[in-house]
Amino acid sequence: MIRKILGAALATTALMIGAARAEDTIVWWDFLSGGDGVRMKAMLEEFNKEHAGKVKIDASTFDWGVPFYTKVQTSAAVGQGPDVMTYHESRMPLGISTGSLSPITPEELAASGIKATDFGPANWKAAQGTDGKQYGVPLDIHSIILYYNKDLLKKAGLLGDDGKPKGLDGLANWDAALAKLTTKDVAALSVPADNASGWRVFYTLLNQQGGDFLKDGKFLDGDNLDKAATVLAEMQKWVKNGWTPAKTEYPASIALFTAGKAAMHINGVWEVPTMVDLAKKGALFDWGAIQIPVIYDHPATWADSHSFAIPDRKGNPVDAAKRKEVLDAVHWFNEHSLEWAGGGHVPAFLPVQESAEFKALKPNSDYVSLAKTAVFDPVSTLAGVASPVYDAAGNYVVPAMSGEMEAADAAKQMRDDLQNQAK
Amino acid sequence: MIVKSRRNEIVVAYALMAPFIIVYGVLFVYPSVKMFKLSFTDAPLIGEGAWVGFKNFWRLQSDRLFSTAIWNTTYFVLLSVVPSTLIGLAVALGVNRLRGRLQGVVLAAFFLPYILPVSVVYRIWSWMFDKDFGVAQYVITPFTGGQHVSVFRTLPLFMPAVAFVTIWWLLGFNVLLFIAGLRNISSEIYEAAALDGAGRWTQFRRITWPLIWPVTALVLTIQLILQLKIFDQVYLFANNVRTDATMVMVQYILKQAFQMNKGGLAAAASVVLFLVIVVASVLQFQLLRARGER
Repeated sequence: MIRKILGAALATTALMIGAARAEDTIVWWDFLSGGDGVRMKAMLEEFNKEHAGKVKIDASTFDWGVPFYTKVQTSAAVGQGPDVMTYHESRMPLGISTGSLSPITPEELAASGIKATDFGPANWKAAQGTDGKQYGVPLDIHSIILYYNKDLLKKAGLLGDDGKPKGLDGLANWDAALAKLTTKDVAALSVPADNASGWRVFYTLLNQQGGDFLKDGKFLDGDNLDKAATVLAEMQKWVKNGWTPAKTEYPASIALFTAGKAAMHINGVWEVPTMVDLAKKGALFDWGAIQIPVIYDHPATWADSHSFAIPDRKGNPVDAAKRKEVLDAVHWFNEHSLEWAGGGHVPAFLPVQESAEFKALKPNSDYVSLAKTAVFDPVSTLAGVASPVYDAAGNYVVPAMSGEMEAADAAKQMRDDLQNQAK
Repeated sequence: MIVKSRRNEIVVAYALMAPFIIVYGVLFVYPSVKMFKLSFTDAPLIGEGAWVGFKNFWRLQSDRLFSTAIWNTTYFVLLSVVPSTLIGLAVALGVNRLRGRLQGVVLAAFFLPYILPVSVVYRIWSWMFDKDFGVAQYVITPFTGGQHVSVFRTLPLFMPAVAFVTIWWLLGFNVLLFIAGLRNISSEIYEAAALDGAGRWTQFRRITWPLIWPVTALVLTIQLILQLKIFDQVYLFANNVRTDATMVMVQYILKQAFQMNKGGLAAAASVVLFLVIVVASVLQFQLLRARGER
């Protein structure tokens, strides 16, 4: 009897090994649970169908931010975790410093057909460590954009004949436009009052003045502090003058815009699917989206990049054959990233970004120009998604905007707090 | 023969206790010892560190954020422990007067929130209190002259509001304990008191309150330990904004360990919290017992 069971068990095991050999499984972790996550699932299905019998991606989606990165770090340290994962480029300095990421050699990249020249230089370099090694391959560039309600802008005389807003560039014009758009029932602009959104808007406007948030290990050094205070005072003005509702939660800020109670809305490109889907149902007004206007001296927009990385699983590294399959898959996703662009993102892969198909994709093509002047987060273990810098935005930028803190005071406290944490 | 059976008994006793002792040792004693050791090192989140003596504790006492965390935790305990116990008793007294099916329905209504996960509680109340669309604004605006209030984004309102939601959420359990306690009080005592002409208030003061005291002491202690470990609600309602001003102790530990990668410092903060809970609960239980025996 025992022999029979043993025999059956052995046969099953052999069968499983045989099956595994016939179709390799790539374990994949991501944090894409928004409108873009739906598109990623469709792409994963397509990949698995195309590679049936050879490679299969077994994907799991986890909670965005600290929970995801904690899970990655702890599992890599004990030799567990996925074969490939999505990773924010802004978070890479911290990931590299905690030893969670495995470097990818130039030979490995070449063998899978991944070329540095297929990506924007800043975008490619943001996935490198200070040791010059490559730790990831970018998939997209994502940023914040200005969503606008065409009907309300037209009423205020701020819509050009091309259907795009006019007269928003320059501080004086911008302020005048906000004042003009504000009525008894409608606010000019809604902005989510959370730490991440606060950081994105603040960093955008700081860079439009040519300010450095972090340089040579010093936060907001010299006149950068004044530039930061200028930005905070401006954001505070939006609230004080009633142009922007204060302390708006993330979902409520979107609802204000989609309900026609805010004429414009600043948020990430990842909310494009929200608007597209609403419009498809006929539940949205005529809308558009453009790059954030140049309120100060020159164009600049905060940006980050979803990239693919291989974890450094201690004592149980991803073997060479699996790494080849992973990088082949990464290349496949970049080649198919037009579909990913449907999630609002700008494809990182230049052959797609510059293709006629992408140029025809609306509304992406209306704001793709931002990629050329995109500014990525400062390179520091204190910066990036869900980092102390993001927390600082929640502790100083958001209260400054709502008027709970003086602008200059908030800028100074933010500098001191971060400088203290850098010790 | 007697010796042998006695030995057998001991073996059986150990065999029966073994699963618990092993689980307790592996999942509680060993990690606790490790935590104490870790608190004297400069270890990162994962891996070994060098011995640094009391440096972590020295750093904690000079860290403004840690002081904020201690103060906020204390403030929250003050706002939640005694109120939730008293309200629990009041509700239990009320429910206890009802009879039959109605009592079951009312009790279930009070107990229902308790079974909800904290994430659901957070969603319910963040939408109810939402500044732009929340229904609670209809209650708030008459007091503020039509001004909408962002309850969880106004610092002085934050902790009281979280305490309010917490009491609403966990009240059912206290009510249940009190009802069990009230049912243990024999009705004959009340009948005798009524015959002697004792009114409602006298009955409560002289009979119910002293006889329910052991349950009250238990509820207070459970609540104290639970609320010293406050984290989920504060973390969710702060929603990553003003996290420094609303920091509580468990959140401080999380930040140091998982965001700042400072395992040693986080362990030191955990040791402090551990000692605070042990001291506070032992002290409170002794105090309450002393009062009960008087």
